[in-house]
Amino acid sequence: MREKLIELKNVTYTYEADEEGAPGYTAVRDVSLDIYKGEFVAVLGHNGSGKSTMAKTMNAIFEPTQGTVTVNGIVADSEEKGNEIRRIVGMVFQNPDNQIVATVVEDDVAFGPENLGVEPSEIRRRVDDALKTVGMYELREREPHKLSGGQKQRVAIAGVLAMQTQGIILDEPTAMLDPTGREEVLKTIIRLNKEMGITVVLITHFMDEAVHADRVVVMDGGTVIAEGTPQEIFSQEEFLKAHSLDIPQTAQLCRRLGFEECILTPDECVEKLTSVLGGAAQ
Amino acid sequence: MVRDITFGQYYAGKSLLHRMDPRMKLILTFGMIVAIFICHNFYSLALMALFAAAAVVFSGVPAKMILKSIKPVMVILAFTAILNIFYTKGGETYFEWWKISVTEKGVNTALFTVIRIIVLVVISSLLTYTTTPTMLTDAIERLLSPLKIFHVKVHTLAMMMTLALRFIPTLIEEIERIMNAQKARGADLESGGLIHRAKALVPIFIPLMVSSFRRAYELAFAMTCRCYTGGNGRTRMKQMKLHARDFITLFVCLAVVAGIIVLNHFFTRII
Amino acid sequence: MTYPIELRNVSYYYSPGTPLQVAALKNINLKIGEGELAGIIGHTGSGKSTLISHFNGLLRPVEGSVIIDGEDLAKDKETLRAARFKVGLCFQYPEAQLFEETVARDIAFGPKNMKLSDEEINERVKKAAEFVGLKPELLEKSPFDLSGGEKRRAAIAGVMAMEPKVLVLDEPAAGLDPGGKNEILSMISEYKKRTGCTVVLVSHSMEDIASVADRVIVMNAGTIAMDGTVDEVFSHSAELRSMGLNVPEITRIFIRLRELGYDVPADVYSVEKGAQILREMIRRRSV
Repeated sequence: MREKLIELKNVTYTYEADEEGAPGYTAVRDVSLDIYKGEFVAVLGHNGSGKSTMAKTMNAIFEPTQGTVTVNGIVADSEEKGNEIRRIVGMVFQNPDNQIVATVVEDDVAFGPENLGVEPSEIRRRVDDALKTVGMYELREREPHKLSGGQKQRVAIAGVLAMQTQGIILDEPTAMLDPTGREEVLKTIIRLNKEMGITVVLITHFMDEAVHADRVVVMDGGTVIAEGTPQEIFSQEEFLKAHSLDIPQTAQLCRRLGFEECILTPDECVEKLTSVLGGAAQ
Repeated sequence: MVRDITFGQYYAGKSLLHRMDPRMKLILTFGMIVAIFICHNFYSLALMALFAAAAVVFSGVPAKMILKSIKPVMVILAFTAILNIFYTKGGETYFEWWKISVTEKGVNTALFTVIRIIVLVVISSLLTYTTTPTMLTDAIERLLSPLKIFHVKVHTLAMMMTLALRFIPTLIEEIERIMNAQKARGADLESGGLIHRAKALVPIFIPLMVSSFRRAYELAFAMTCRCYTGGNGRTRMKQMKLHARDFITLFVCLAVVAGIIVLNHFFTRII
Repeated sequence: MTYPIELRNVSYYYSPGTPLQVAALKNINLKIGEGELAGIIGHTGSGKSTLISHFNGLLRPVEGSVIIDGEDLAKDKETLRAARFKVGLCFQYPEAQLFEETVARDIAFGPKNMKLSDEEINERVKKAAEFVGLKPELLEKSPFDLSGGEKRRAAIAGVMAMEPKVLVLDEPAAGLDPGGKNEILSMISEYKKRTGCTVVLVSHSMEDIASVADRVIVMNAGTIAMDGTVDEVFSHSAELRSMGLNVPEITRIFIRLRELGYDVPADVYSVEKGAQILREMIRRRSV
């Protein structure tokens, strides 16, 4: 029996109406979703589909207007519970500049454990470990604003690792990065999940990132409109395109070639092609 | 460059001064600046200058950098020197012409003041050369923490300082970006009168405010996510500990101050 | 023959004359012709942003000259100012430049700086808004009340309304979802088709450039590493990848197949073309 880490039950979130009388905006409608321990879930959706708002309910930054959020058995219904939940599930945001608080890389990574009241020597150990995991140990004494976007995001990830949370929610962590930065960050995320067993919820609109997940959740209009393995989701090209999404080029190619199975990564595709084409002799 | 504000003029190194506890360094810097003003004659001032020179040697900061920090005060130095030479009268007259005269006292006072300012600048810039603003902020927070009993929010103030240091470079980059974008739309920021120029800043100021609020909002989320609830129950990774070197430096400084007092007592007063 | 954009032996250094001197551009010679849709690609720090900032005189070359529409920008202040309007530069995340009370007034900011008549300005605002697909009722709204995608469009309209001879867009689709990205890219090719203007598109993704551009200029380490048609540049796709550029997945598959010794072309960048080639190979194999 798989254990649930995060459980959303009929969650609705409505942004409060502003003073000028503009009506409140409901970004998430009646969403029920379970995230299991050790799982890697990708949440896909176009800009404004409600995926970021949903992510913020998952670690109790936003309290749902209706419905309940339960994290590791704790129901998010008060400020104190929220703090407890955030010790279990950390979060990394889209803009790398707006989540780094310290002027030195290692001080920033230490910020979370410091808030948790961890012993200084233990913080040091955690910070060093976290920085090594994301490959930023060599740059630990740098100023964050002199790092590249990908490096900043890895520092942010290290900041969550040092808190030793069970899960990490990443809200479009690669949206503002260049291809090199995207690759660095994606590799790091996959490592966290596969090697360290950390539960990952990756909010993204890059299809080639979602293919690495165990499960893909597609959102539009504030609700979950599809859910399944990457193979199941990415075999529905027309459906995804209708929701301003896409399928990876590899999948498009394999579909055009009439391959039965849904192939998602270039490596798998090359493998399949070599088996179809036989040796390179011809 | 302003963008380097987070490190200020920090000169990376591992010297004695770099490794000192920033709290001790801060206190001693203040103490020695006071000591400069106790000096009454050239003998005590010479001792002070000697101390400053020794501190430079122990800091490992190249002399060129020290000279660079004196450069901005050159005008002030020249100004004080001229004022003192011509307006302080007394003792032997070296030179006289029309209403202008240069006397012994004038020259002495000018020289004394100039040396005093130079020593002052050298000592205070050594603090900033060997200590990052972040370390300084931390030191101030810890030194002021007893004020907590008077309900002074020392932690909050220090956190604000740190965030300011962190975000100033980011905001400067942002201003540059917005300026370029508006210039590309033909905004003219360089010409016109005062009112015109003030108006021309609106297209820069408003986007800057909008983005700063957004940043502040996101930053608050990010800090909440990392379980920040204020200063209570917080620990710190980097502990500040006083080592033998800090006490030795303290002792040296006390000795210098004692020397200054003695020299002040035995030689005639210049100022 | 005059070109809308011509750079002769342009070099640019950051912090010149200091030990920290960094060459951002090294002896660049570049001509971009009337009505071209050129793509400039390069990874972060390759010099592409520095390069486009020379096109409208935001940066002045340390060495060499920039000639816009036949006039050397070093000539006088007027020429320099005119270049701001001849070359419309739209930076990455242009929504950060919105500041006016209404969308219409924001779009009008550029034309106003050109000292056009009110009628002319109104005309241009409407035209530009229509081009980027902003509904007329949005024009009287505050730009800060628009959705992310609408803000992006409003900002681009602000540059288009200056009706520049050359429109330069730096990563116009950054941060948008696949649907939004396709819309922006097709909007750009539509703009070029309808106005006949020269368009320069800057990106680090070959995929975006390949879908719209005629010509690709590859920047690397402050120099032009390649310059040619999309097909020509893609025939060096393995090199592009080693420069830290993102080539389409389909191209990566073909690079790999070539490495494995298959006789396939190197310049494949569209799924359709790739599928056609592979289908043919599979067919031949089965006979």
